[in-house]
Amino acid sequence: MLDTLIGTCILLPVVSALLCYFVRSARVRGYVVTATGVALVASSLLFYSHGSFSYTAESILGVKLNLIITAADFALLFLIFGIGWSRRNPLIMLLTVLQILPLAYFEFKMVHHVEVIPAFYGDDLSIIMNLIISIVGSLICIFGIPYMAEHEHHLHLKKSRQPRFFFFLMVFLGAMNGLVYANNLLWVYFFWEVTTLCSFMLISHDGNDLAVKNACRALWMNMVGGVAFVSAIILLYRHTGSTESLSLQYLVRHPDSSLAVLFPLALLCLAGFTKAAQVPFQAWLCGAMVAPTPVSALLHSSTMVKAGVYLIVRLAPAYAGTTLSLMVATFGAFTFLTASVLAVNMRNGKKILAYSTIANLGLIVACAGINTPAAIVAAILLIIFHAISKGLLFLCVGTIEHKIGSRDIEDMRGLYNRFPTVARITILGMLTMMIPPFGALMSKWMAIEAASNIPWVVAMLALGSGLTMLFWARWAGILVSGAYLESPDREKSQSSLKMLIETLTHGLYASKGSWQESPAIKVPLLTLASFAVALSLLAPWVYSRLIDPRLALGSKALPFTEGVQGATSDAGSFYVLPILIVSFVGYAWAVIAAIKKGHRVVSAPYLCGEQSPDSGEARFRGPMNAWEQCTAANIYASEFIGEEKITNWINMAAIVILIVLFAGVAQ
Amino acid sequence: MNMENLATVALAVLLSPLLGGVVAGLDRKITARLQGRYGPPILQSFYDVFKLIGKERMIVNPWQILCAYVYLVAAMLTVVLLALQSDLLLVFFVLAVGGVFLVIGALAAPSPYSQVGAQRELIQMLTYEPLLILVFVSIYLVTGSYKISEILKFQEPLLIPLALMYIVLGYALTIKLRKSPFDISTSHHAHQEIVKGVLTEYSGPYLAIIEVAHWYETVFILGICALFWHTNPVGALVLVGLTYLAEIVVDNICARLTWRWMLGYVWSTGLLLSFANYTWIYVR
Repeated sequence: MLDTLIGTCILLPVVSALLCYFVRSARVRGYVVTATGVALVASSLLFYSHGSFSYTAESILGVKLNLIITAADFALLFLIFGIGWSRRNPLIMLLTVLQILPLAYFEFKMVHHVEVIPAFYGDDLSIIMNLIISIVGSLICIFGIPYMAEHEHHLHLKKSRQPRFFFFLMVFLGAMNGLVYANNLLWVYFFWEVTTLCSFMLISHDGNDLAVKNACRALWMNMVGGVAFVSAIILLYRHTGSTESLSLQYLVRHPDSSLAVLFPLALLCLAGFTKAAQVPFQAWLCGAMVAPTPVSALLHSSTMVKAGVYLIVRLAPAYAGTTLSLMVATFGAFTFLTASVLAVNMRNGKKILAYSTIANLGLIVACAGINTPAAIVAAILLIIFHAISKGLLFLCVGTIEHKIGSRDIEDMRGLYNRFPTVARITILGMLTMMIPPFGALMSKWMAIEAASNIPWVVAMLALGSGLTMLFWARWAGILVSGAYLESPDREKSQSSLKMLIETLTHGLYASKGSWQESPAIKVPLLTLASFAVALSLLAPWVYSRLIDPRLALGSKALPFTEGVQGATSDAGSFYVLPILIVSFVGYAWAVIAAIKKGHRVVSAPYLCGEQSPDSGEARFRGPMNAWEQCTAANIYASEFIGEEKITNWINMAAIVILIVLFAGVAQ
Repeated sequence: MNMENLATVALAVLLSPLLGGVVAGLDRKITARLQGRYGPPILQSFYDVFKLIGKERMIVNPWQILCAYVYLVAAMLTVVLLALQSDLLLVFFVLAVGGVFLVIGALAAPSPYSQVGAQRELIQMLTYEPLLILVFVSIYLVTGSYKISEILKFQEPLLIPLALMYIVLGYALTIKLRKSPFDISTSHHAHQEIVKGVLTEYSGPYLAIIEVAHWYETVFILGICALFWHTNPVGALVLVGLTYLAEIVVDNICARLTWRWMLGYVWSTGLLLSFANYTWIYVR
């Protein structure tokens, strides 16, 4: 059973990837991607019902697994070196050599037989990650099928590059699944590098200068993490002299605050920071925006960046109670604050999402650093809710971009009147990111409560939280900005309940135009949107069913259990079901009140008495009796927080914190 | 939820607007006296709201209606949660919902006045929200809990260990109550307002809803103030009375200033005072 499941979640995507690559038929590709998605979802659900496990596979088809992974590792590194060579990028080449040589030394000189038992290990954290990767990841891949067709239609390509695209997309999912289940650090490292390579290939997919430039940046920044990773492996091995210390579970269960262990742990955290695009490495994720939308959605929500926070959260028990932990919290909070500041300055919708992702990852890192049981739970919940809402928002922006041909949020003014369904889902996605009772905010609440004893961290979280609210509220507001378009069939009087249901299905005041999209776009959007709402509604349940008992049950087997029972009083603030119900009743009442039919006068926007009498358009009587259009725009405060102005300062401050982090370890 | 809780909820929902309306009336009266006018009757705010409710319903964009109602619901919820002695941070986040929807409603109308008002309101929220969180965190640091029911068990008035935080709270509340110099998004004073900022496009019954919601918020704010002298009802009353009086005086001796100044000044002062007070808590 377990070998089939592991095979499905890691190897099946690779097989499908090869199919996508070699069978160059769009129809077959669509089926393969969809079927793989379904299989992945099924396997992750089976893992969930199976519960925590450990599994060791000796060999595959008679060849030792370790040998395969080692060989693949070197092949991968040489491939990346080749990329560096062909792009004439000395930095990439240097960073690759810095990994190849130590790794060769380690594999051939230091140890000859790296056997780590168990090879695969799954607990609540890995299973939740697996669920996210499989469900959200697959939905994004399915969304990609019609999206890429249209994308290539816009580009007028002679030869479709989609086989290559879906090849890497599928491999990406497999590598992520391998990464979260692997227990051997060398294997984690291998999967880690596979995701780096895939992200490079996907970011550079469009092949123009900007895409290649940004992809190279993503590659070298992630290679920095790779170098840190290899160094950590070697140092860990040198300390104990046994392969045991290369087991994640061993590290987590035998916390050792000596320098010889903490320093490699700090290096692993550094690797996590690069992958999670924390400042000063944020540039690669912002640059990754040039890629087609499914790529950004995948990188941001369920894969890649989540690998970084996964590693940090996974290792959290190993460095609990040390200065390193405190510095990780500080670093994460700093990222949360600065990324939120930068997001306020953005007009580009995708970049707002990018900085918001970085900020949320910073919050997760901060939670890992705070390292109380409640904080770890908050981190896991944030990983879940963020993956869903952010995946949804990226797909929304991608859909909007195809419709209006722009990512600028100023161009999205009044989008609700033109594309009500997409706008409604987008607004819903934003609300799930920022208001109670939705999960993302509830987790933020837990995070702030957990951070309360570290004044500077909580101050940074408080400031960042205010900024987050600002850019979401503003964006949601301008989506609905605009004229009053009432559909004629609303004149009939209806019962409140019927109207409520109709509003939920058709949208508030939406003209009842049908929503013309491919089902492969509709289904992921609607599924993610309903997940975002349903999981939030069920947030207490999610907490108590998905995380709490798993934490409580195997208190000896799982590192994430220590003290959680005691912490229920803290985290128990999550059990606020009555309040959730009341607030939803309140919102429903507001919706009913708003859609109730009655005498109502529609007026033109106020323009000092000189407004145009026809409603909707904001026009005023200007010189020569001509109607002048008036426009308004958001405050971006570029004179204070312009991206190009403050990024260097932020990076410098982040580097200082990183230096202090390593100095704190050495102390 | 037992009967006692239900009664608390009912009382909070019913009495708060009455209290808030009277406070608004008193505010107008005292302000008038400070300006050498006679001022309206104490109950004038109620007359205004009743009159507004009777007016014709006019809107620019129907989202405004939804937003007005959510603003009211959120304000009511904050008062209810306060009365139920719930978690301070939760109350805070619910309060933020109201603010968010007020802004969305204002942004829904394409009038530039409303748009500018919404942007300013956002910056006002940005200014006071972190400070409120810091105040609540300081309460946690002293009492060991965010739950109001636990905080009320604390032995001495919070004002003693958290004197500086009370000033920080003062800044936040001045902004929330829309008092000069921080009444940037919309002002109670006609002399410094060209058009009614964030409320420009709200009229008639919808404006009445927002007005009532504002009363709820006033009660909530006064409740938070009272928390700083929870040991003695008279003390709490005196503290709240003096605080509100101070708000009115400040309101009348200041002119509204720009958002740049507000953000810079309030954040720097607020953070400085907070860290001073945090240090004081640790030293004590």
